[in-house]
Order: sequence, then structure tokens, then C-alpha cells
Amino acid sequence: MAYSEKVIDHYNNPRNMGSFKKDEEGVGTGIVGAPECGDVMKLQIKVEEDTIVDAKFKTFGCGSAIASSSLATEWLKGKTVDEAGQIKNTEIVQELNLPPVKIHCSVLAEDAIKAALNDYKKKADTEGETEEAATPA
Amino acid sequence: MSEHTHQPDSGRSRDLPMARSMCWHCQSEMTGEYFCGRCVKVQPLSKELDYFTCLNLPRKLNLDEQALEETFYALSRSFHPDYYATKDEGEKAISLGNTALLNTAYRTLKDPVQRAEYLIRLEAGSAKDIRTSPPADLFDEILELQEDLEEFRSLSAGESDARRQELLEKLQAERQALEARKAQMESRLREQFGRWDALPADGDVTVQAQKDAVLTGMQEILSNRTYVKNIVNDLVAATSPTGDDGRNIWH
Repeated sequence: MAYSEKVIDHYNNPRNMGSFKKDEEGVGTGIVGAPECGDVMKLQIKVEEDTIVDAKFKTFGCGSAIASSSLATEWLKGKTVDEAGQIKNTEIVQELNLPPVKIHCSVLAEDAIKAALNDYKKKADTEGETEEAATPA
Repeated sequence: MSEHTHQPDSGRSRDLPMARSMCWHCQSEMTGEYFCGRCVKVQPLSKELDYFTCLNLPRKLNLDEQALEETFYALSRSFHPDYYATKDEGEKAISLGNTALLNTAYRTLKDPVQRAEYLIRLEAGSAKDIRTSPPADLFDEILELQEDLEEFRSLSAGESDARRQELLEKLQAERQALEARKAQMESRLREQFGRWDALPADGDVTVQAQKDAVLTGMQEILSNRTYVKNIVNDLVAATSPTGDDGRNIWH
């Protein structure tokens, strides 16, 4: 099976590989796995005033999974939280020219984005509550 | 060689789903055998034929391995392309197609893990219908180990030998622990095999619910096993003295 140039490029030069501290303010973490192939993907976003200012990933899996998450972090930067939620796996498939057997890698990336956004929202909600509780009206 | 010699035990009548209900050659009605009863031409196996039926086995997980081998060899002989070298193109194609399906069926059922995965797909329609919760603790553990592995790979022999040795020992210990866990998962899978086999093939809602519970339980073990298997492979590759870092992007 041949990978597209874009997949090879992301695999050899992954963008935004790394991680943030999970408990850092404004950071949302998504960790997901693909039970069929055993790949594990961690994707994190850093949000300031509803905009994703930075994103990082660590993926342990095949080239397509690495490329999908690398591409996802590129796309996430500069998007609002709502816009980020609109990213679809089919867009990743198209951009990377993924073959049918590798579509689940793009699904994994979409799941990771959703998980990171959910984690961020959950954290923002509880932080908001404690702030409100801390500052009496 | 006479055309009858490589026929399987035709005394037993089996209800096999064939690709057609009529013989492709003489148009006579088929009775669910691999060969036409009238003109003795080989018949194409239906693509919908499930592997258990193909190998004449009940849909059980602790299967009769001897029966599996015997049926496989008998059918292999009957469909073997060598016997069809002098036949027309249609028969050659059927012989090849049947042989390919038979080989896949045999390989899948012979391996316990593949057998379980296949049964889940068969029973659930598609494995994707069974959703198991992601093992968050296992993911954390794997990510942590992968970080250690990355550090270990980045340290070349000769420099920082103390840290390298420390990591090597830690990773080797983790590898042993994980291999033990994988073995444990496999024995838990075997327990589910027994549970599945004890349930009746058909039944009311209660039986169906019990079946679903076993299938979900197996799916969960199989998924977790895949994650553990991958990290074990990475650990083995990185800590073995061959020097190959074992990362494979082509899987």
C-alpha cells in the first residue's frame, strides 16, 4: 500500500508534536484509541478567550494516524471552540488522500478533537463555578 | 482420475447456502452440496457462506480442532486447482474461488483470537455495533510508557549509560508485567468461550441479552488486548539487542 506524499510529509515532519500539562489553565486533553488496530492518540488544545491558540499531539500508531493528528493540530490553531467542533474526518481523508482501510485513522483524529473540546468545556465550567463561588456578588 | 474420486463425503446431506439454486452447468436443481448431483460439476460457494457453516462446524468457540482439520483437508482436496487444470475456464475459476474462501475460513477459525473476532462480527452484524468504553487508565499507562520508550530510543549507547541502563531495566520489567497481563486477558477470553458455548443457539429475549453480554465482554477483552499487544511489541523491539527500533508505520 502506498501512502500519499502528504502522509509521508506529516510522518517525517510532524507538526506540533508534544504535550501541555493537563491541569494547565485553558488546556483540554483528549485521549482516544482505535480498538481495531491498537493505535493511541493524545491531542491537546490551549484556549484563550474562546480561541485555540495552540495545539499539540502525541500519537502512537501507524503513519496515517500520525498524519491525521498532525494535520488536525494545524487546522485547530486559530479556530474558535465552536469552529473546531465542526472539523469532520472526511475533510482529513480528502486532504491526506487516505485509502479506505485507513479511514478509521481520520475518525480517531475527529474523536480526539471532540474529546479535547469536551475536556476543555468541562474544565471551563467547573473553573467558572469556583470563580463565581470565590467572588461574592 | 475419475470425477468422483475427489468428492467430499456425499453421503451426508448438508444444508449449504450455495451461490445459485441451480447447477450452472446442467441447470438441475441443487440440494446444497458442493457438487451437482447429476453432472458432478463443482459449484461455486456463496460469498455469504459463513466460515462455521463452510467447515461444517457449529457456531461455538471451543471448537473441535480435529474436525476442523479433517473437513478442511477433505474440502481442500475436492476444490484443489490441480484437479481442475484440464477443465474449462468456468470450473477453474470456481475451483480457485472456493479454495480462496476455504483457506480464509480455515485460517480465521484456527486462531482463537481471530475466531472470536469473527464470531462477534457475525453475531453483531458488524463489530462496530458493539461499543465498549475506552480504557482510560490503560491509555494513560501506555502514553507514559511510550514517553520512556522515546527517551530510551533517543539515548545512544556510549553516552548517558547510567540513565540508559535504568530505563532499559524499567522497560524490561514493564514488558514482563504486560506480557503477563496479555496472557491473563487471553485466559479471560477463554472463559467467555465457555460461557458462549453454554448458551443455546436460538432463544428468547433473555438468551439474546446473555449472548450480547458475552459478545460485549469479549469485544472489550479483545480491544484491550490489542492495545497491550502493540505496546509489548514496541517494548520488545526497542529493548532487544538487534538495534532495530521496531517502529513500523506500515501496519
